[in-house]
Amino acid sequence: MEPIGHEGLGRLLKLEDNLQTPHVVFSHSDLEESKDLESGGTITIGKKFNLPPSPLGLDSEKSPYLQLSENIAVIDNAYSIQPKKLVEIAKEFRLEAGYSRLIYAPAVEPSQMPILAYLGVDIFDDLNVELRSSTGWVLESGEWIKQNKQIEDLFSHNREELNRWISRIRNAISNGKLRELVELTSLHNPRVSQILYYSTSLLIEKGARVHSKIRSNDLSLNHPAILDFQDRLSNYEPPAKGMVLLILPCSARKPYFKSSSHKRFFNALREVDNYLALHVVSVTSPLGLVPRELEFCYPAAHYDIAVTGQWNASEIEMLRSQLAKLNLKQNYTKAIVHAGSSSKIMTNLIKELGIDVVDTRVEKPSSYEGLEILQNIARMSLSDVPLLNTKDRAKGEATGLAKFQYGDNSNFLVKSEISGRMPYKLRCGDLAAMSPVVGGFGLTLKGGIEYSSQGGPTIIAETFKLIGDLFAVGVKSYEGSWNIGDQVVIKQNGTVTGVGIAKMMPEEMIAMKRGIAVEVRHHA
Amino acid sequence: MPEAFVPLTDFVNKSKSIPRDHPLDKPVAKWIEEEILDGEVVEAGVVILRTRGCYWSIKEGCSMCGYFNDTVPGGVSDDMLREQWRKVRPILKGKKYAKIYTSGSFIDPTEVPFDFADEVMSDMSDMGIEKVLIESLPEFVTPKNFAYTNSPKLEIAIGLESSSPVVLDKSVNKRLRWPHFVKVCKLARDNGAEVKAYILLKPPYLSEKEGIEDAVQSAIDAAPHVDKISINPVNVQKNTVVEKLWFRNEWTAPWLWSVVEVLQKCEDLPVRVYSDPTGGGTRRGAHNCHDCNKKVLEALKNHRLGLGELKGLHCNCKSRWKALVNQSKLRRNGSEPHGYRSGFTGGRHF
Repeated sequence: MEPIGHEGLGRLLKLEDNLQTPHVVFSHSDLEESKDLESGGTITIGKKFNLPPSPLGLDSEKSPYLQLSENIAVIDNAYSIQPKKLVEIAKEFRLEAGYSRLIYAPAVEPSQMPILAYLGVDIFDDLNVELRSSTGWVLESGEWIKQNKQIEDLFSHNREELNRWISRIRNAISNGKLRELVELTSLHNPRVSQILYYSTSLLIEKGARVHSKIRSNDLSLNHPAILDFQDRLSNYEPPAKGMVLLILPCSARKPYFKSSSHKRFFNALREVDNYLALHVVSVTSPLGLVPRELEFCYPAAHYDIAVTGQWNASEIEMLRSQLAKLNLKQNYTKAIVHAGSSSKIMTNLIKELGIDVVDTRVEKPSSYEGLEILQNIARMSLSDVPLLNTKDRAKGEATGLAKFQYGDNSNFLVKSEISGRMPYKLRCGDLAAMSPVVGGFGLTLKGGIEYSSQGGPTIIAETFKLIGDLFAVGVKSYEGSWNIGDQVVIKQNGTVTGVGIAKMMPEEMIAMKRGIAVEVRHHA
Repeated sequence: MPEAFVPLTDFVNKSKSIPRDHPLDKPVAKWIEEEILDGEVVEAGVVILRTRGCYWSIKEGCSMCGYFNDTVPGGVSDDMLREQWRKVRPILKGKKYAKIYTSGSFIDPTEVPFDFADEVMSDMSDMGIEKVLIESLPEFVTPKNFAYTNSPKLEIAIGLESSSPVVLDKSVNKRLRWPHFVKVCKLARDNGAEVKAYILLKPPYLSEKEGIEDAVQSAIDAAPHVDKISINPVNVQKNTVVEKLWFRNEWTAPWLWSVVEVLQKCEDLPVRVYSDPTGGGTRRGAHNCHDCNKKVLEALKNHRLGLGELKGLHCNCKSRWKALVNQSKLRRNGSEPHGYRSGFTGGRHF
């Protein structure tokens, strides 16, 4: 065993010629099952070593965290332990295992291998790769992709790719670029980025100081869909004047109202008189603020982020500008903030805008105590607010949503007879109804006629009986403009015969001879 | 009694919570289901009475058992028990088979007073019920605890869980000794009762393959001593060690294919072996993929009632199950990646 490189807590060890760690063992050749529940099987890393028995009856959140045999220390459940806990455990790795044992993390996803190697894990295996392979997924640079092309013996293909992935981790350590590889894998993986976030102080305290060049960047908050969402909020109006603004935390489950925490909020609030006069707005990164009625709109129901409870300066700036767009002083009488770790920041930001704000100061917003406090504060705040009935509220919500979605062309929806209530039953007469697929109001055929006459994007198609989707070959010309993913109206012979979602850009439909131009949702 | 495995005992106690308040005059649940009696399919009335609950769960408890959630720690007075009984009688009327559960041991006299039990038994006998199923820990199976003046034929169900001392000690946290179990089975049968054994499939910490092997071995061991065996796939009940492990993704509920496998391996045993998975087809109970849950559960039900066989079941997820079983011991726990049973195809639907 000869250490030839370090980075973070990770190490590049030379075990034998052509055998270095981090190393991957293959289950079919290198791992042997245990004979009974009290023994541990074997692992072959050059030589055959005994594994410690599996952790029967133990609580994975209690030390000792590692199972030890003479040469191997196993960190069981490394793929699922809470990120914060995992970092705590990593702190103890060498105290429990010493430096002469190899640390083995069984059944880890390839995307988590770089961060675990960074925290000191030496050995990985291909167990999850085998399961993924058996369902037809292809491994590519640590990520799982679906490929149309059939690959003969997918498992060995994926094993080779896994080998390349591990050798990339080894190379990264020897070049002092493991951090870069970890950052790369953390970008779109909330779990990895949470582990990375929590491990900072451990790495400062115990990590190897290798003087490799830091090639930094600042990628955040610049996704086009996110900027578009934030921008559209400037024309947004709450359902009614004089409501009480209620700031709630976001949830992992999207849309928020389907999460268990938001269901608990709702159940607590609806016992309060006049609770309809509360306007729920969730605070989140990177979107900023999401009013309840916009929760279906892309990308409010379509993102995931590492939850750290910390807001950085650029995020706070973003929240400030989003709050300004809500026009608090004109639109609301007062505000309640019930957002856990974000409460303090939100309360301060709202104060800056000059309206009354109450912070519930609850650390766990959806706990029983938290809900009770929220209920009492809501009751007090609502006592002098004019009554808002279901109908007016629905009308206001529909107006806000229609404006957000259709912008200047939304008049026809606003004037229709609005009924139902958020989230699923809200509808604008027979013109539009709530649709999670569209992400807001989906037009009906009648709605399509109105939309087209108001100047909504319209496609003129050849004359034929429209039964399924509209293909590019059938498109004659178009009016207006749109982006892929927008709702469009199809006209044939001067009458509207369909509405759907555009799958090509305007000119592209004309230029192409094949392919779906419009995914039709309703046709005549 | 064997020594406790302290870390697991601590873990069980940490996971538990005090049961919520329950109305004392209402039973936990009552329903009607199909059962088999003397080779014939009949309707059975099933009743869960609310009592003080299992003495073991008050002392320590088992890692998978959340029935204490339904109990009243201070105990339920005789009057309230009689009130509950009055409410469940209509369900039992006209049935030949009754199942009386208590979230504990029916023949523990400190849980269900003997006088009340005696009344209930003669009442059922008068109603024309031919056979009654009750549950008990082995320590209460002594003839004086079920020497009723007048009762239907008794069937005592005992939770054996596993015949392996390691599993009982480090996975289930149950201090049952195999020789004692054998002794009480004989005692019960000598005194005119039938014995039914519950065997767990995939208790916590065990992998899919270890779970299957353990259940099959336990059934083989138990078969000579009992009259029938029910295979109980472990399901996730509230406030238990199992729930904790499940939340942490260190263990998942067994596949229905594993249930089918165990039953097929037990086909040649001299006693009836069947399974009625609690919470079958849900994430908290034994399940396969979305496409075949219903189909397999239906087949298990028919098998239980002696109306059909388990052969010829098939689904695309079966090969996934095989791949998992083959490697499961190497994973060192009962886990599998999220979404594996459906082939990682399920996106978020709303």
